[in-house]
Amino acid sequence: MTAAAISPGRRPGRLVRRMLHGGGFWPALPAVLFLIVFLVLPMLTLLAFGFVTIDRGRIVGDSFTLQPLWAALNDTLVWRLTWRSFYVAVISTVMTLLLAYPVAYLYSQTKGIWRTLMLVAVISPLLTSALVRAYAWLVILGGRRGIVNHTLIQLGVIDEPLRILNTDYAVIIGMTQIHLPFMILPLLAVLAERDRRLEEASFNLGASRAETFFKVVVPMSVPAIFAGLALVFAISYTNFIVPQLLGGGNYATLAVQVYEQTVVVLDWTRGAVLAAILLSSSFAFVFLIVWVGSRINRWSEARA
Amino acid sequence: MPHIVMESIIKSYGDVRVLDGCSLSVEKGQVMTLLGPSGCGKTTLLRTLAGFVEPDAGRVLVGGIDITALPPNRRSVGYVFQNYALFPHLTVAENVAYGLKVRRRPGPEIKDRVARALDIVSLGPLGDRYPAQLSGGQQQRVAIARVLVLEPDVLLLDEPFNALDAKLRLSMQTELRKLIERLGITSIFVTHDQSEAMMLSDQVAVMRAGTFEQVAPPLAIYDRPANPFVATFIGRANILPVGLRAGAVVDFPAVVAERPDGPADLIVRPENLTLAAGRIDPGTGQSGPPGTVLFAIAQGPTIEYEVDAGFPEPLRVTVNRRSGEVPLAAGSPVSIGVIDPAACRVIERGTP
Ligand SMILES: Nc1ncnc2c1ncn2[C@@H]1O[C@H](COP(=O)(O)OP(=O)(O)O)[C@@H](O)[C@H]1O
Ligand SMILES: [Mg+2]
Repeated sequence: MTAAAISPGRRPGRLVRRMLHGGGFWPALPAVLFLIVFLVLPMLTLLAFGFVTIDRGRIVGDSFTLQPLWAALNDTLVWRLTWRSFYVAVISTVMTLLLAYPVAYLYSQTKGIWRTLMLVAVISPLLTSALVRAYAWLVILGGRRGIVNHTLIQLGVIDEPLRILNTDYAVIIGMTQIHLPFMILPLLAVLAERDRRLEEASFNLGASRAETFFKVVVPMSVPAIFAGLALVFAISYTNFIVPQLLGGGNYATLAVQVYEQTVVVLDWTRGAVLAAILLSSSFAFVFLIVWVGSRINRWSEARA
Repeated sequence: MPHIVMESIIKSYGDVRVLDGCSLSVEKGQVMTLLGPSGCGKTTLLRTLAGFVEPDAGRVLVGGIDITALPPNRRSVGYVFQNYALFPHLTVAENVAYGLKVRRRPGPEIKDRVARALDIVSLGPLGDRYPAQLSGGQQQRVAIARVLVLEPDVLLLDEPFNALDAKLRLSMQTELRKLIERLGITSIFVTHDQSEAMMLSDQVAVMRAGTFEQVAPPLAIYDRPANPFVATFIGRANILPVGLRAGAVVDFPAVVAERPDGPADLIVRPENLTLAAGRIDPGTGQSGPPGTVLFAIAQGPTIEYEVDAGFPEPLRVTVNRRSGEVPLAAGSPVSIGVIDPAACRVIERGTP
């Protein structure tokens, strides 16, 4: 035991008293309890299934085993699915950023009623479920009579329908659109509230609009960019609805496998192991994104 | 030809006319101060010069060239923002280098000029810090260096000393004045602090509600204010409703005025008045109405009196205090005199 651990500040009495006084924590208590009961515990239970032996729907007592995890890590299929989950999420997240940034910037440059209308337009997709929007993409991208192919054929641009549905393209397109609001909203908040005098200072020093945008506006929004990247990456990487619907029957990602093993095949052990892999790798990637963001943004920690 | 010329600038926001026909010219190398109460349009006028505000009417010329339609990034007008607007994500040196990089100057030249600019404002060793790691005075110097490194034709500063504490303010004021004199850049300051205006400028333009009340050297404004607004904004003044008879003020016969007989207003500074105890005429050239001391306060070198002399407002009189002198008690009868009649102004009754 180190000196710090037994120093007066760490005595239990003090700690309890500090918690009682710690106004910072108490308001969050209901939310924390809710999350523990309805998120953390079920998740731990689910993950635990991957490390015990289940016999006819019952956990065989005292049977901790790493065998299912080992098997999964030695399965090239799992690695292929993880890789696909990853690159689909990366491409979709980057596309989301590229599409969201101009929208958020435009929002920050508009005023009054136009601003309100834009905000409504950004938020309104969230009012329909992701499932409905994925189905909409099915209609748009679908076979010969899908909107895209039909239009292109009518216009004579192509003779044969493009094969978009049931490929990575469809999944990426659908995911990008569905996740767009989650990228726009953090950007929009930061860009709309930014200090315009910095841009004026940049103009005054001789910079053009484009230079000012890339040298001042974008760097100042780095925290929002990385918040959006982390958020959208996490929900893209773990999304199973879009790959399932737009990727078709023979298409799978790691998240789709988790769903199928757990709900269709009813192999809870494998489902739980894959979920553990999905969850921990997702954590690692999100952590990496946040870390890179804070490295780029080191100036914000600079204080006298 | 003056270096900066602004011709009848008009600017409205909605129904509010913020600039109402401002005309101003500044000679090369001179320092002009825009002085006026908050909200009178000083910042707007400065922003018009920098190109951030497009005037509804009027022209802006620098060095004889009309720049009214030029975008801000094509003007050679350095602007020091009120709260400096340093780029928080760039270090001090990067902030100063910004304008040079934008101009695509070669790397060694940038390094050289940044180092020199930082030396001029005595920030040489702090180049690697971020703005958040600097004190207010240091931030201000970075803002000035960032602009000066580009060697602009014109330097604009919007209330540059506002964020500084009183002591630092004084030293920065003198430093900046010396710097501008050395570099010879035509400069326009904005301030609402009259002593700052007196101290820093060759010319002071007193603004009120979007127009200029008076443009003149600081001492001329102090000695010969055009109207009560200017007189009370720069220094203190008694504005007295008086009568004129035979070309002189009735209550102060020593003060002559080339105006027709009748009512008028007299502007007289407190330190241009004197008083003596008793009802006797205090002496040569000193003639005025009798009064009663209402209030007196000794301030070391001077004594401030408020005297009831039959005017609607109490008369304010500042007299030099001799060592050991005690102010007259309230209620003492006194006689008021004008020290220098030529320094009084007689204007039309009711001029605001
Ligand atoms: N962009 C703007 N939109 C609307 N009103 C403005 C704007 N800028 C300034 N004003 C108004 O113009 C007036 C003068 O402002 P300003 O030039 O900042 O005054 P000062 O710098 O002398 O304090 C103020 O009443 C202010 O509210
Ligand atoms: Mg202002």
